[in-house]
Amino acid sequence: MAIDYSELVPGQSVSRRRYLLDGAMIADYMASVQDESGLLESPESNPLVPPMSIAALSVGGVVQDLQIPGGSLHVGQELDFVRAVPVGETLVCEATLKQNSVRGGWRFMVLESEVRDPEGRMVMAGKSTVMLPVPADDPPGAAG
Amino acid sequence: MRVGDRLPVVEKGVSQEHVERYARASGDFNPIHMDPDFAAGSQFGTRIAHGMMGAATISEMMTSAFGGAWLNTGRMKIKFRSPVYPGDRITTLGRVKSVRETASGSEIECAVEITRDSGEVAISGDAMVTVSTDRRPEASGQG
Repeated sequence: MAIDYSELVPGQSVSRRRYLLDGAMIADYMASVQDESGLLESPESNPLVPPMSIAALSVGGVVQDLQIPGGSLHVGQELDFVRAVPVGETLVCEATLKQNSVRGGWRFMVLESEVRDPEGRMVMAGKSTVMLPVPADDPPGAAG
Repeated sequence: MRVGDRLPVVEKGVSQEHVERYARASGDFNPIHMDPDFAAGSQFGTRIAHGMMGAATISEMMTSAFGGAWLNTGRMKIKFRSPVYPGDRITTLGRVKSVRETASGSEIECAVEITRDSGEVAISGDAMVTVSTDRRPEASGQG
């Protein structure tokens, strides 16, 4: 079902996904970005995943769940890495809409993301700013 | 590490194959990255790489410079200024802007950029990391 972006309100949860960061997934990610720094070793656990692999899943989940249309622009990103994450850990990524406004033919959406481990401890926080093309008859939506 | 020090440079080529692999790894299959016909009608005229691929290269540079401190305390605030196209080579630039000594270690703020081989800036912003007193990285050079 298509999303009516004008009906989304600040504070609304827009994406929640659970991911297992297994070795195959991390290897695929590292090949895609040609990360040659290698996995950092941890004395207490499995090797540590690149933090941007978590950010990639977090943003990718939002793109899928919000059905972000082609022609949209990802214009800004903030990331806060709180805790290193070992390969094999399961994480929950949740995104909340913080701003939804229209100006100049574009819809500006600001989305805050939190990624937590199964015990609820934060491992990463993020803020994404995206611009979506607005059809001519699209109402402005809830300001945020 | 001192103000003006430069971080290790990371340079790489970005291909459409990398873009498609990133789409599979992240779940972001937006047609601007994947569909040549859709992209031909876009403001860019062709497919573009995911912005987060460039951000990953900045993070790789920060990991090279600061190791586990980046994974545990890193912060990044960036703007995607222009697209990276498949076929481009991208290069990181990182320079220490400030160093502040605190009880938990050195808070280091860096200016970071990704440039394309055309010289155009694709991404710019700041990255911050706290390096504990007992593990301070060596700079790769001075700027």
